[in-house]
Amino acid sequence: MTGAPADTRAPGRPRLSWDVALRLGLLGIVIVLAIVFTIAAPGFLSSQNLENNERQMAVIGILAIGETFVIITAGIDLSVGSMLGFCGILMALALSHGIAIPVALVAVLAIAALLGFFNGVLIDTAALPPFIVTLGMLGILRGFTQIFGNGQQIGFGNSAFTDFAADNFLGVPKLFWVLVVIALGAAFVLHLTRRGRHVFAIGSNLEGARRAGINVRAMTFLVYAISGLLAGIAGLLLTARQAQGDPNAGTGYELDAIAAAVLGGASLFGARGSILGTFLGVLLVQILTNGLNLLNFDPQVARIVEGALLIAFVYIDHWRKRRLATA
Amino acid sequence: MEPAQTAAVAVLAARDISKRFGNVVALQNIDFEVYPGEIVALIGDNGAGKSTLIKILSGTLSPDTGTLLMRGKPVSFASPRAAREAGIETVYQDLALAPDLDVPGNLFLGRELRRTGLLGMLDVMDARGMRARAQAHLESLGVKIKSVDQRVDTLSGGQRQSVAVSRSVFWGRDVVIMDEPTAALSVAQSALVLGLIKRVRDSGTPVVLISHNLPHVFEAADRMIVLRHGSRVGTLYPASATMEQAVSLMTGALGAVTESREVEDG
Repeated sequence: MTGAPADTRAPGRPRLSWDVALRLGLLGIVIVLAIVFTIAAPGFLSSQNLENNERQMAVIGILAIGETFVIITAGIDLSVGSMLGFCGILMALALSHGIAIPVALVAVLAIAALLGFFNGVLIDTAALPPFIVTLGMLGILRGFTQIFGNGQQIGFGNSAFTDFAADNFLGVPKLFWVLVVIALGAAFVLHLTRRGRHVFAIGSNLEGARRAGINVRAMTFLVYAISGLLAGIAGLLLTARQAQGDPNAGTGYELDAIAAAVLGGASLFGARGSILGTFLGVLLVQILTNGLNLLNFDPQVARIVEGALLIAFVYIDHWRKRRLATA
Repeated sequence: MEPAQTAAVAVLAARDISKRFGNVVALQNIDFEVYPGEIVALIGDNGAGKSTLIKILSGTLSPDTGTLLMRGKPVSFASPRAAREAGIETVYQDLALAPDLDVPGNLFLGRELRRTGLLGMLDVMDARGMRARAQAHLESLGVKIKSVDQRVDTLSGGQRQSVAVSRSVFWGRDVVIMDEPTAALSVAQSALVLGLIKRVRDSGTPVVLISHNLPHVFEAADRMIVLRHGSRVGTLYPASATMEQAVSLMTGALGAVTESREVEDG
């Protein structure tokens, strides 16, 4: 009985335009900040400064990508900074004992993924809040990091490892290429595959996802394992870059990772977020930190701004969610 | 209307089902059946055993005694998934939709189509295929929404329920169970959903309807099975029974003997 097919491109898709507006707004802020810093801080566009930014961005960006997976399930991973430091120290210790790079690399990353997996087990199987589980893990891993490192930096004379962090490929630091590859892979999994869709479904309606036959348990394990693994990779990259294991490395980085994801449109209520958005969020955090630094602000000012932005964005998200609920 | 279904084989039937929770008898020697092409409603007061029976039919609970039959063949469901795989879909009261996903995302939730070839092996979804099939399916059921690309949380309550019902019909090859589909809906939205339920029946999928709302039941159902205190106390036909009769049976003011019509022969 239906005559003409329904108009599928009806105007007024408010939610989509909101997301696009948010993404464009973020891009706009990034561009404006870049212009401001280019004018105000002469060194901003120097190749050395750009490369430094790209290297630092690689570390934060990889953390933030893992965090994005977790946040989309309506979870949180506070242990990424400690995981980064822990894996850095393990790698430095392994290399200083003469263990070959591939062996050490695989072993450390396996440990990182396993610890992340364990977070997932506590969250799903023991039904503990992600906030508490990963906060506990934050303390545990930092404690072990300090003990293993004996509270000191650990040097290792392995130039092949540190060269990787110093080298460029096509004029761009190899570290940044690692971020690009991981971001593309993550975007593929999250936005194009069935498992990626299930990550969103879990964040949108956990019980509904379960009833729809989605293996919520396995997906929770997987998501936290991914976050752990990526934090481990970030730890290796930072250790290579600093040419030593630092037991304090990654302290407070969970703020950067969470802020970047949230500024990029990830919702702490779940089911919202994208790799592109997170990438822009990381870019914003990095430019802000670097620009204020070049303008001779106290380095802590950037953290103050970052923290304030995080709270503001979560507030906006909360407001959006409430408005929707009453609509 | 005089039921012609006495001769037909029930698509889904329960025979002599009992279920206890500790000392509480939730269901006692219950028979249940849904025939092709009908909407059968389960009615009864709170605690009558409707939910328990539904949970048994949908694989969430297993009965202590008794058997389930699909088209005359004994079946047993170890899990909701087993029931779904057997062709029984359930629409739960509290909307098991993912509000942040769009309509195809919900229709295919947990059963997303995969691309063919290498991309399929990489778990890549066939977004275009799902969208086209979702759109065709909603059109065939006469569900009107502006665009299937809308996130479900931008739809009205009735539209959302329509999407949930459409999803169950999409996958429910044999029977669709709907638990309070019109609860929390406005009059207009309820009418929308009741109309859809009838179209589901007309499209060939029998429906088991659970509702507290007698006017809705009388409007949509072809047959009503009345439960009271875990027992089946009668079968009524909206075409011939009154709501007063239904209420009397549900509350026990009228004995189980005075059913308006008894067609069941076990």
